[in-house]
Amino acid sequence: MRHFIVVGILIILVSVLLTIGLDAANLMPLDASAQAAPIDWMWKVMEIAMSFLFALIVVPMVYSLIVFRRRRGETGDGAHFEGNTTLELLWSSIPLVVVVAFSVIGAGNLSQTLSRDPNAMIVKVTGIQWSWKFEYPADPATGLVVVSDELHLPVNKQVLLRMTSSDVIHSFWVPEFRVKQDLVPGRFTELTITPTREGNYKVSCAELCGTSHAFMVKPVLVTTMDEYNAWLAQELVKAKEAASTPEGLGQLLVAQNGCAACHSINGAVGIGPTWFGLFGSEVELSDGATVVADEAFITESIQNPSAKIVTGFESQQMVQYTFTTEELAAIVAYIKTLK
Amino acid sequence: MSNKQNHPSLLPQGVFIFVYLAVLTALEFFVALTFNSIIILVAVALVKAALVLWYYMHVYKLGEEPKEDHESYVYKAGTNRIGLWLFLISDSFVFGGLMVMRLSLLGLTRPDLNQTLGFFVTSVLLVSSFFMNRGEVQLHNGNRKGFLQNTMVTFVLGLFFLLGVVLIEWHTVPAIAEPILHLFGEPEGKEPLKASSGPAGAAFFMMTGMHAFHVLTGLIFLIIVWVNGKKGLYDEKQYPVEAAAVYWHFVDVVWIFFYPALYLIGTAI
Amino acid sequence: MKNNSLGKAFLLLVIAGAVGYGIGLGLDALVTGGLNFSGSVASAFTLLFGFTAFFFGLYGYRGITRGLVFQVVGTVAGALFVTGIRALLRLTAFGAFFFSEPAWVFGALVGVLSFIAGVGIVTDWYKWARGMDTPEHHEDEPGWEKYFSVSLDHKVIGIQYTVTALFLIAVGGTFALIFRTELAASELQFLTTTFRAFNQTGPQFYNTLMSLHGMIMIVSILLGVSGIINYVVPMIIGAQDMAFPRLNAFAYWVAVPASVLLLMALVLGGFDTGWTGYPPLSARAPVGMQMFFLGVFTAGWSSILGALNVIATVLRMRAKGMTAMRMPIFVWASIATSIIALTATQLIGLSFQLVMFQRLFGMGFFDAAKGGNPVLFQHLFWFYSHPAVYVFVLPGLGVISELLPVFVRKPLFGYRWIAMSSLGIALVGFVVWAHHMFTSGMNEYLRVPFMYSTMLVAVPTGVKFFSWVATIWGGKIETPTPMLFVIGAIVVFLLGGVTGPPNAMVALDLHLHDTYWVVGHFHDTIFGGFVFPFFAAIYYWFPKATGRRMNEFWGKVHFWLMTPSFLTLTFGMMYIGLRGMRRRVADYDAALGFDNAHLILTICGFLIALSVLIFFINFFRSIKHGEPAAGNVWNSRSPEWLVPSPMPAHNYEVPFEVVGEPYDYGLPGSKYVEFAAKKAGKH
Repeated sequence: MRHFIVVGILIILVSVLLTIGLDAANLMPLDASAQAAPIDWMWKVMEIAMSFLFALIVVPMVYSLIVFRRRRGETGDGAHFEGNTTLELLWSSIPLVVVVAFSVIGAGNLSQTLSRDPNAMIVKVTGIQWSWKFEYPADPATGLVVVSDELHLPVNKQVLLRMTSSDVIHSFWVPEFRVKQDLVPGRFTELTITPTREGNYKVSCAELCGTSHAFMVKPVLVTTMDEYNAWLAQELVKAKEAASTPEGLGQLLVAQNGCAACHSINGAVGIGPTWFGLFGSEVELSDGATVVADEAFITESIQNPSAKIVTGFESQQMVQYTFTTEELAAIVAYIKTLK
Repeated sequence: MSNKQNHPSLLPQGVFIFVYLAVLTALEFFVALTFNSIIILVAVALVKAALVLWYYMHVYKLGEEPKEDHESYVYKAGTNRIGLWLFLISDSFVFGGLMVMRLSLLGLTRPDLNQTLGFFVTSVLLVSSFFMNRGEVQLHNGNRKGFLQNTMVTFVLGLFFLLGVVLIEWHTVPAIAEPILHLFGEPEGKEPLKASSGPAGAAFFMMTGMHAFHVLTGLIFLIIVWVNGKKGLYDEKQYPVEAAAVYWHFVDVVWIFFYPALYLIGTAI
Repeated sequence: MKNNSLGKAFLLLVIAGAVGYGIGLGLDALVTGGLNFSGSVASAFTLLFGFTAFFFGLYGYRGITRGLVFQVVGTVAGALFVTGIRALLRLTAFGAFFFSEPAWVFGALVGVLSFIAGVGIVTDWYKWARGMDTPEHHEDEPGWEKYFSVSLDHKVIGIQYTVTALFLIAVGGTFALIFRTELAASELQFLTTTFRAFNQTGPQFYNTLMSLHGMIMIVSILLGVSGIINYVVPMIIGAQDMAFPRLNAFAYWVAVPASVLLLMALVLGGFDTGWTGYPPLSARAPVGMQMFFLGVFTAGWSSILGALNVIATVLRMRAKGMTAMRMPIFVWASIATSIIALTATQLIGLSFQLVMFQRLFGMGFFDAAKGGNPVLFQHLFWFYSHPAVYVFVLPGLGVISELLPVFVRKPLFGYRWIAMSSLGIALVGFVVWAHHMFTSGMNEYLRVPFMYSTMLVAVPTGVKFFSWVATIWGGKIETPTPMLFVIGAIVVFLLGGVTGPPNAMVALDLHLHDTYWVVGHFHDTIFGGFVFPFFAAIYYWFPKATGRRMNEFWGKVHFWLMTPSFLTLTFGMMYIGLRGMRRRVADYDAALGFDNAHLILTICGFLIALSVLIFFINFFRSIKHGEPAAGNVWNSRSPEWLVPSPMPAHNYEVPFEVVGEPYDYGLPGSKYVEFAAKKAGKH
């Protein structure tokens, strides 16, 4: 009997200490979204549950290993009891009730993260190996759409991300926002986020997507509504300006479509050939032939990348892009400027 | 101890079961062509499968043998019997997975296939099961000649089925496939289904392909027991023949489900 | 004798490896026109030739050597066959790795079948097909040589499985040490974009090493599990051998070419998908992906056929008086494991097969552009891969239940409930798979039933933990090395278990999914459910197999070095995972502040490796130099300890009958088994 009391006290003690310790360690990142609140609450509940369950098993076990160990010179066996049906029923039915209760709470918890604001701002997200493309709501006046590789969001306004992938499965994740959702080619998935703290964060791809998965990271900036609108307006102006020249349009398209994930513009060796000094140069292909990197070559390389592979880059596979003729010419014009 | 059990009653039973199966298949075909009720088609498939599992594959034999002498042939054959059924249970999961794939990708649509050919190959396979059962029972009754003849018929019918699917339905050799399909009422100039033509092609070729692979291995098994039977084996130790027969019927059971899944259920696309 | 062969083997390895390298380099140059020194073709041939020559030197041209020679010849022949057909059909005959992808796939398949023919495992079955009889038992050669050939003895096969598993653990662990070294600090140190190995850049090579670490370890677990089950189950049920000894040998030997294929994946361009192989990424990965798929497919046969054998054996070959409720608890664990392995494994084979065919024939199962569905793959894949984790841990949990009574000298508490809990875990384990897919884009609220079913697994698992505590409570406890690993297993598996529910809670999982939290969670469950019990089982049954004990001091060093290192590792992983560390990344942002944690993780990895190295040395030395231990060293009631060690060739010359409960320690005068009266004439 005395054993049980001691063990009981120790279990409670250890549970409490563990919970306090886990809590003090502040294991979750900064909470910066409304969705983080229910998730962080559930985490706190789990801290308690994990601590208690751990203590419940480990304390009696360690206690037994010490108190019931065979001392030197002792012979004989342990106490002979084979089971106890009441105990079995208790420690089957109570956990059953508990896990069902947790699931009920978990379902409610999920609903809280899914609550949808009908006036949410819609941002279209496309994952491309290995960059992010964000398309903002069209400007009501002009109908123009800002496309960026950065995610800008106004604080305290719910955003509905409508997401797809142009190649393989990616996943959208900002740790401070907590919620995560895969981007699947051929369909749209949705993620609801209400940022609650201004700041600079990062969105990282959270589903292994190939060579540069580790580097598929882009900035997320949460600002006031005014700052957001100002940025949007500025981007519209930049887009209009850029579109006025082919080179400008090309540079804009390049930024929006994540080409920099593989192609450098300063000569640095990357996953793909550098664009610095590319136009007009002689390029050695993997089959031994040599070609001049003219308009036709670059255009073909964008539309049908596996047609001609530059020597040394055989193990890579570039995604096929679909651009209009005008866009292709713009990109080539931009690449021409890189020398 | 003799393993021979004279069960002359099993021969007519084999005929009765075949008649039931044939009627059910005709019913299935009729339902599909008229009001296409999925529930009826599934129910018919389940009944057909149950008939084959019970009467042709004699699943009730599991664990039937006396348990005393673990070294006896009867006991060891019983262990082999369990082993074979465990294998079939495992194999069913492959076909189950293929069904899930078909249902997920195609839903209530199905590939646009030649119904006459489908009904024909299905009937051929069903008839082959009838002859397989006959052959197995006759060996059991001591009639070696009957066993060999019926097993050979089974083999030939199975080969017919295989060629009907892999050569004709698959359009592998257009020069042979097209005239025969024309014979089966295939409209002129109809684009043959390709493996790479979308989910319908993918599902069709994978399902029929995996089934055909099992038909092929079944045929090999049949040839082996036929040749050995000709050599005079299986007087007392008849389990290999039972195994070949059970495996063959299993291949038929799979087709009992794959046939409506590919040919009958849903609207053709 | 053995030292000479070992030396010869290594010499031949080097020579043949060099020859293979030259041939590969030459063939590669023929097609690409350049000298690709660190290229894949050269490496592939080096691997194939070197491996084969090593075994030739060690063992001569028989058994495994013959199998490997046949595999090499078969692979090349099959590949050449397809190349020829392609040339005739005016398709591109060659590819980036000399042979085209279809040629490599067909070649690899022919290679596997050729290995099976060459090693001699189908000889008896072939004879049966020809109508000939074969002797029921085959006598094995004495000494270590029998382990490299086909043996029908379940004890030999069990050891073959176990040693192969240990080998794969070493390989998979080495891969981890390599990428852990890279991960020790932020920014790429040596796996950079300019790094080249086997036609892969640094980040690509990281992906390959990380992916193979996962799958090689998984295969090692499957083999290790088969090793324990095959060695132990026939002994503890009183059988001479398994129900189907040739099938048993087949199931082991098929795992060898499977492992070769996995290593081929490394050198044929690698692959970048992780062990999970999701399309569309796996549909466009290099040829190594196909080697991976085929290797896993082949390893699956081992698992399925092994499971079939276990179920048939337990149903049909138990000793007299061994009713279901008087079977050793480990047998229940083996049955539950085998039910899963027999059935669910087919689904990973199928899902991989579908991707293989998508790549080879353009069949659009998972190609959105063709109307396919990438998420369908995940459903099919996880339908196996979740139950698979119970295949990994149920035997180990069975080992815990089996060993505890021996070392606490008390009955197993609640035997029936523990037996049923294994079946319960197996059954519930079939309906939780989509908890791996909460972020996949599956229907939002369909996630809720899977949360319920996932939490439900905690109930039978809880029964085990509570029963173990109740078994230990009030005992007379001793803690030699096997018991240390049992205790370690319980604690570590408990950590894995309690870190599961946070993943089950859907909303919380949205944060945890694909982070190092999950990596910590599953390393805990795997080490607790398999690795620790595996070591416990080896230390425990080693005397039964060899008649000698492993060194107790070094066993304790192994435990006390491995356990704190491992716990630190997993706590560290969970910590950084919670704070934002994604998994499967070759590098991470220094601004995250995880550099110190990663350094600690890497150090822990090396310490674990050191402890395993100590184990290996102890294991191999003790075979010849361990302290003699011929009798019932653990004072166990189990029948295998009531006959001499090493275990006699046919286990029990005199059969036993079960006359009591297996775990009635502490009940004076009680007996579990009674051996039949000896035949007249024997003294």
